[in-house]
Amino acid sequence: MSERIVGELKGLLEEARRYRISKIKFGVLSPQIIRNMSVVEVTNEAYRDEVGAPTVGGLLDPRFGAPEPGSHCPICGNDRDHCPGHFGHIELSLPVVHVLFADHIYNALRGVCHNCGRIKLDPEKIPVYIKRAEFLKKHLPDRYKAFVKKVIKEASSVERCPHCGISSIKIEFEKPYKFYKHVEAGRIELSPSEIRDILERIPDDELILYGFDKEAMRPEWLILTVLPVPPLTVRPSIQLETGERSEDDLTHKLVDVIKINNKIKRDKAAGSVAMALKNDYDALQLHVATYFNNELPGIPPSTHRGVKRLKTLAQRLSGKEGRFRNNLIGKRVNFSARTVISPDSNLNINEVGVPEEIAKILTVSTIVTPYNIEELRKLVINGPDIHPGANYVIKATKGGYRMYLKYADRYKVAEMLEVGDIVERHLMDGDIVLFNRQPSLHRMSIMAHVAKVLPYRTFRLHLTVCPPYNADFDGDEMNLHVVQNSEAAAEAKALMLVQNQIISPRYGAPIIGFGKDYITSAFILTMEGNELSKDLFFNLLSTYDRVAKLDLIKKHKRGKYSGKSLFSILLPETFTYSLKSKLDKDVIIKKGVLLKGTIDKNSIGAEQADSVLHRLVREYGNRFGGKFITQFARVLDRFLTFTGFSIDIEDLKLPEEAIIKIKKIEEEAIKKVDEIIAKYRRGELELIKGLSPEESLEQHIHEVLADARTQAGLIALEYLSKDNPLYIMVMSGARGTDINVAQLTAMLGQQTIRGRRISRGFDNRTLSTFKEGDIGARARGFVGSSFYSGLTPTEFFFHSMGGREGLMDTAVKTQQSGYLYRRLVYSLEDLHVDHDFVVRTSNGKIVQFKYGEDAVDPARSDHGKPVNIDRLIDSISLLYPKGKRATKDYIKKLLKKVESEIPSSLRDELWSKLIEKKANKEVAKEAIRQAVINYRTAKIDPGAAVGVVAAQSIGEPGTQMTLRTFHYAGVKEKDVTIGLPRIIEIIDAKQKPSTPRMIIYLDEEHRYSQEKAEAVANRIKATQFRDVVKEATIDLINRSIIFKLDLESLKAVGKSPIEVKRIFSRRYSTELKEDTLIIRPNIKIKENETDEYVILEKLRKARDRFLDRHIAGIPNVVRVTLEKIVNEETGEEEWVIYTAGSNLKEVLLFEGVDPVRTITNDIFEIYEVLGIEAARNAIINEIKSVMEEQGLDVDYRHIMLVADIMTRDGRIRQMGRYGVVAVKDSVLTRAAFEITVPVLVGAAVRGEEDLLRGPTENIIVGSRVPIGTGSVDLYMEVG
Amino acid sequence: MDEKLKNIILSHKLVPKHVILDEREKKEIIKKYAGGDPFKLPYISRNDPVVKVIGAKPGDVIKIIRKSPTAGETVYYRLVV
Repeated sequence: MSERIVGELKGLLEEARRYRISKIKFGVLSPQIIRNMSVVEVTNEAYRDEVGAPTVGGLLDPRFGAPEPGSHCPICGNDRDHCPGHFGHIELSLPVVHVLFADHIYNALRGVCHNCGRIKLDPEKIPVYIKRAEFLKKHLPDRYKAFVKKVIKEASSVERCPHCGISSIKIEFEKPYKFYKHVEAGRIELSPSEIRDILERIPDDELILYGFDKEAMRPEWLILTVLPVPPLTVRPSIQLETGERSEDDLTHKLVDVIKINNKIKRDKAAGSVAMALKNDYDALQLHVATYFNNELPGIPPSTHRGVKRLKTLAQRLSGKEGRFRNNLIGKRVNFSARTVISPDSNLNINEVGVPEEIAKILTVSTIVTPYNIEELRKLVINGPDIHPGANYVIKATKGGYRMYLKYADRYKVAEMLEVGDIVERHLMDGDIVLFNRQPSLHRMSIMAHVAKVLPYRTFRLHLTVCPPYNADFDGDEMNLHVVQNSEAAAEAKALMLVQNQIISPRYGAPIIGFGKDYITSAFILTMEGNELSKDLFFNLLSTYDRVAKLDLIKKHKRGKYSGKSLFSILLPETFTYSLKSKLDKDVIIKKGVLLKGTIDKNSIGAEQADSVLHRLVREYGNRFGGKFITQFARVLDRFLTFTGFSIDIEDLKLPEEAIIKIKKIEEEAIKKVDEIIAKYRRGELELIKGLSPEESLEQHIHEVLADARTQAGLIALEYLSKDNPLYIMVMSGARGTDINVAQLTAMLGQQTIRGRRISRGFDNRTLSTFKEGDIGARARGFVGSSFYSGLTPTEFFFHSMGGREGLMDTAVKTQQSGYLYRRLVYSLEDLHVDHDFVVRTSNGKIVQFKYGEDAVDPARSDHGKPVNIDRLIDSISLLYPKGKRATKDYIKKLLKKVESEIPSSLRDELWSKLIEKKANKEVAKEAIRQAVINYRTAKIDPGAAVGVVAAQSIGEPGTQMTLRTFHYAGVKEKDVTIGLPRIIEIIDAKQKPSTPRMIIYLDEEHRYSQEKAEAVANRIKATQFRDVVKEATIDLINRSIIFKLDLESLKAVGKSPIEVKRIFSRRYSTELKEDTLIIRPNIKIKENETDEYVILEKLRKARDRFLDRHIAGIPNVVRVTLEKIVNEETGEEEWVIYTAGSNLKEVLLFEGVDPVRTITNDIFEIYEVLGIEAARNAIINEIKSVMEEQGLDVDYRHIMLVADIMTRDGRIRQMGRYGVVAVKDSVLTRAAFEITVPVLVGAAVRGEEDLLRGPTENIIVGSRVPIGTGSVDLYMEVG
Repeated sequence: MDEKLKNIILSHKLVPKHVILDEREKKEIIKKYAGGDPFKLPYISRNDPVVKVIGAKPGDVIKIIRKSPTAGETVYYRLVV
């Protein structure tokens, strides 16, 4: 390296070290500091004088800095770009409360003795409390906050000061900034100067008990006597086109303060009356308060000329458009481009097509070396307008002079080019770029591509990379970023290149794969008996990069050219695999040859686990996977182009015969519905357990109509010919489902809103064509027509209603899942794996002792497992077919040796699979050896941002979840909140689930017999008095209520009438005669109240109260239902009780219940009864079951990480502002997330420090995030 | 606490095994994982039902032997606070 470059590098390193922020300390400015740092006291309310020059002592005083272009700052001498700006101040003529700190002032005033300034606590207790506070502040900061609250509460309730004996004064705080004291004379306002006097007396040592930090502040500073005025860089004036000047909102607000301040000053000097002063004083307080926050509750916001609300300090910082979220986290970048995307299946999957127009603007700074100088000279000569060219040259000498090549003598510049110069050359083929589509929901939303400069004006990408970006070509635009140095390019290529992202970290299976027409094409190509002409065969073959295995084609073709062999050519010769196709037929691949079966979605589709594609990528690597996809896509594309594949309306036409059949099904269904309705009207309808007659009716109708559509759909599929394009698409999995076919060709079926038949509209009817009260099939949204036959006007209307609901759901869902995602990210962003595989927060707190409990990276796993043992043993068995069978002892011994290296699950699986597959000694030895190696390579990289990946893996599928709470086929006890609302409920750590449910397992004695189970269920169910009362009559004369008991149901819940009597007789006089219970409520009747109606009303109320009385069973368990299930472990059938309502503790203790397996979905209840570890397990189970129910595949490790951080502190914390985020150490992260201003205020009084260890803080201050590759430093000797 | 409830808590399938570490093991764990600062460990409340049942005191470290869907069995440690 040349001497000069070494020098430069040294300089850069020096600079990097010098400018590193090590921490940010928060505190409160003292009046002294404010005055000392001020360069100008602002007293002049006019901005400018008569000639338009800024006034001295005005808000635009040049000493504030930010001089006009060309001139220099009178304070620091810098020009506009370099002057940082300087503060001024306003001397307030009277002190005012700092609104943002009003809560803290109130706290102090309550705890302190107004006379002696000591905290109103026992003198002996104080040192103990201080010690405790110091301990908590250091080790358990969130407990410290709670402790302060407790101390203040204790001190404020003391009536007489234990130090000086003065009696306490009650303080009242009227938001936002007024304080009153309650004395004998009544309520008197406490003036800011009085408050200041009191706060001044608080000794430094006791500040910690108020939540204040003695190093960072003094409480009296919270009463302002001097107001800092920010420099003009903070509140720049702008010049309008008309030449008029417009001032910043803050400047406007400050003028208000100065005006009123000056007025008070004058009046005070003139000896004005107190009353007049008081009004102005209030105004001063108001202006200073709104200067800090213009959205104070109960205060009208200040406006500019009565129109525009001023954005003052708090508004500038907080919210989505605030400084934090919009400018500090959301930074804008150079070297980026955006345009519409379009497909190109001739590209490699790693490539992106970049329009030449864009390539000529985006540049890469290249340092000239002896090795590239000739190449760069050519580029310089081409200049900015000819594509591979260059736009600028920066000379190493001449002080970094930058030359624009458009107008330069380019031949001369090229000739003078020397080593060390920098050429800003055009983007060229082979450059690494980052490509992105918003919303960036997971890490595959930004991937590294290899640029390929192409004509025309769109970005081109390969079709198989659409799923990770969730892109289509209906006008989508994408962004491209050019990586600016080779270090970054190398990192991007290694970690982010498309082929390295094929396996999704969410579920450990390919997310990149074939879709739509590719599947159709593969299906037709590899269909049984599909013979290609010689021409076509070789034409397709010519798309492959190189032709190997020619002998293989020969072997397979038997004189025929088949599509299967085209597929086989791409397979490695060692590849053997079999699976089931979509049509449930075998697909068999042996030694790289597709012997049997048709390739469809199950074999090569995107987002398919255990497909052929998945196996190939896993076993032959990412590079092979990428090549396979690229090459096969090319063949499929060309094949379908040549064969042609299209669909038209005639393809939806069913033969007459089928139409008649479908018509018949429709008519029968409608008739059946009418019959059901008639039965219901006669009251003969068979009721479904637990449902009202109306609900049962709907349920029955629903079943009939759903069945009709299914039947019609089956007929349609039966009559469609096998070469019908619609049929092919559905069968191959390319697009559409059976339901789509049914709706297109046969019948749309029932339209629903919120899962029910359409019922809104006019009074008792949906549309004016129907008679009032018509609840028949057609009148409630049943559509018998198909899209082919066309809809009747009423049907069309119903269909539109259903469609509208879908649109609204999507809109709501994106909002809700977006917010869920944001909370997940902020809660988890700083979690990373350390070199010991321990998951820690940025401040070193341990969250997991081993990531995912086995340290395996889901993206390197095989659908969650580090090793696919079946495949491993099978493939090794092929290599070692002969040998002595391994004995159990032999295997045991081998496993013992590696025990400490692999997780126990892997060991157990190896053990059982080796025995099951009757492995020989060689196989056993080799399999175990390779399993250990595979496990090691599947381990996660130290530094990995596992928190963010977990947040993505739960947040990204959020948009795909249903919003509706599902109704389980009529059984209310099983009708649980599911989908997105349930996930939010869990993540929010909501105290009570919206649908509390229990599954109660029974003990040996009760679980096998329905009667015994039912007996337990009846005794568990919470029974109110009304459930066992046949009749309740009010006896007005005796002022009592007569209840006729239902002895039968009373017996069922296991109570006798006497026991019931006893419940009431404790408080009331009661009388029991056989099945009649008379209760006399103690109603108070005022003497003058003789009106019988009043008495009757009171008796009625008493009756209802009695009827609501809980008399038997377990409180909260409101409904029970029995069901026979199969025990997964033992395979036995047993009865279990499903309940609505939950009461874990009592149910567990209940006789007949199996307390080991019985569970509830109420996580807090589990926490209270069974502890934090049980709650953690419950969180995992609940999230996993919601995801599974929604058909979403999410790796356990992500869910475990969420559960572990929620329970880390021994209590359940929500993933949000009051939970996980609230206990983060970083002030900046908390401020950036939500409740910005209170966070900053709290940090100031507590004197908090931000040590800048997490991602958000470092983005804010503009330095490298110390996670992942950012956590590694390279130290090297320079020179 | 009721003897019956104690047994129920310990035997419930959601509750993994909790073991109080002795002084030596405790020191070792704190040194190995938390660099000597016990407050870096995850916590468990002194009022946690299981803590009460096994009689752990604040400052103790509890070893939890979890059943894991990924690893079969793993251990976790919590500091009683």
